[in-house]
Amino acid sequence: MKTFLALTAKEAHALFVSPVAYAVIAVFLVLNGYTFAVTLFLTRQATLSHIFFQAAMQLVLLVPLVTMRQFAEERRTGTLELLLTAPVHEGGIVIAKFVASMAVLLTMIALTLVYALILATVSNPDWGPVYGGYLGLALLAGALVAIGLAISALTTSQVVAAVVSLGIFGLLWAIDAWAALLPSPVDNWVLGLSLLARFTPFAVGSMYASDFGFFLILILLGLFLAVRALARR
Amino acid sequence: MAAVVSIEGLSKRYGRRLAVDGVSLEVNDREVVGLLGPNGSGKTTILRILTGYLRPSAGAVRVDGLDIVTEGHLARGRIGYVPENAPLYAHMRVNEFLAFMGRLRGLEPPVLHRRLESVRERLSLGPVGEVVIGKLSRGYRQRVSIAQAMLHQPKLLVLDEPTNGLDPRQVIELRGLLRILAQDYAVLVTSHILAEMERIADRVAILLNGRLLAVHRISRPGHAVSFRIRAPADAAPGIAAALSTAAATASTIREPADGNGMLSWRVTMTEPDGAERLVAALCAAGVASIEPIGAASDLEALFLRLTAEEAVH
Repeated sequence: MKTFLALTAKEAHALFVSPVAYAVIAVFLVLNGYTFAVTLFLTRQATLSHIFFQAAMQLVLLVPLVTMRQFAEERRTGTLELLLTAPVHEGGIVIAKFVASMAVLLTMIALTLVYALILATVSNPDWGPVYGGYLGLALLAGALVAIGLAISALTTSQVVAAVVSLGIFGLLWAIDAWAALLPSPVDNWVLGLSLLARFTPFAVGSMYASDFGFFLILILLGLFLAVRALARR
Repeated sequence: MAAVVSIEGLSKRYGRRLAVDGVSLEVNDREVVGLLGPNGSGKTTILRILTGYLRPSAGAVRVDGLDIVTEGHLARGRIGYVPENAPLYAHMRVNEFLAFMGRLRGLEPPVLHRRLESVRERLSLGPVGEVVIGKLSRGYRQRVSIAQAMLHQPKLLVLDEPTNGLDPRQVIELRGLLRILAQDYAVLVTSHILAEMERIADRVAILLNGRLLAVHRISRPGHAVSFRIRAPADAAPGIAAALSTAAATASTIREPADGNGMLSWRVTMTEPDGAERLVAALCAAGVASIEPIGAASDLEALFLRLTAEEAVH
């Protein structure tokens, strides 16, 4: 456990001393702040649903910037050799990187709680979709981070890791459009893989165990693949 | 002496290419063993298998009696590893990095504190403790890398090309440091520089194309002294007489004559105390020159012979 805490602290430190984390957080907050303010003044509706959809889309674009360096950079500089030749399990290394990356993203998402506080002071919002939206964002971030880590563990190039992650996230996000072209029941299977289709119920306040399970399975699958990628040597 | 490392029939295959082919080797406690070979001969692959970074395709590696595959977690705790080019976290300060590596190896705070003090003093890292690693010179980076490998007091220190990129002064300092470390640890070190090996190692394993060609024990000054003697052909009987009387226990090899009619002998004395007597006798016999030869030449000759044979095959 102490080894795991040491690894997690090191990963969090590496992320928070990097300008990438601050750039990602700043862009995320500026764009969402702008959308929140404009939408609130124009529609005068006490809802965050549009923020959740925009934030989810931004996660698809920004998470690769957080995960791309995690293993690719360690592999390129040779520091991965230090970690893997220490008496540490691959699983511990992967989970430490997952926890540290999630700390950055959850901090970023948590900063948008200020929008909910503003709504609460000027109105009486429906809290169900707000809770669901934040839970959905956290689950989506977890799934994207886990998959991003697995891709980063397969390459020495941060750019390759980022581009491949972006491609896979984009495909999984918008795969529901392709599902519309397919015959039944294949369309439902493909639709079930869509991040957008799985996220939407959370953002509108109607959560399903199957969607929760989908994100949980993606997280576990991503972490498992990252461990396998490290162990394959 | 107890074997800290035992490698038996080790092979590593990358696809169709056999990078390491049936290597067997032992490293004893407080012994420096060098792996010598040209680039691509399998040195780094052997070290990476030994340290648990790579899995072997065949064979067994035991460190302090622990199998590196089935008991990898425990075995890795017995090893201190300095990878090639000393990879470190450039954004960390030296003290911060060393503390992290200590915690990674499960050292508790009081023990970690004592060990940090000890390695900082031993490797003269005190002045750079709060310096960001990315700003350190190559020599200091190498020392930090060695310090992290010593923190947990391993049974075995493994260093991959430790003199790469160092300036001459840093190379000399590192060489001295390794000899000191060998008083406490078994040391396995790789190099493709022959002269470095003969200065650092007690035994040298010569590798080529993944195969172990020979293991050569290095003779050190104080154990044996070698000379090359050159003399005109007419002085040959006098030289032979001087060699037989003043250096009765020496081994003498007559070398081919050069084009100027000069003869030469290579003499290795196992009792260096008799060297002065021999030199006096040779001077009286009309020797033209006496040139001391380091033990290096043995290794050099062996390396050239083995690699030439391999090239023919």
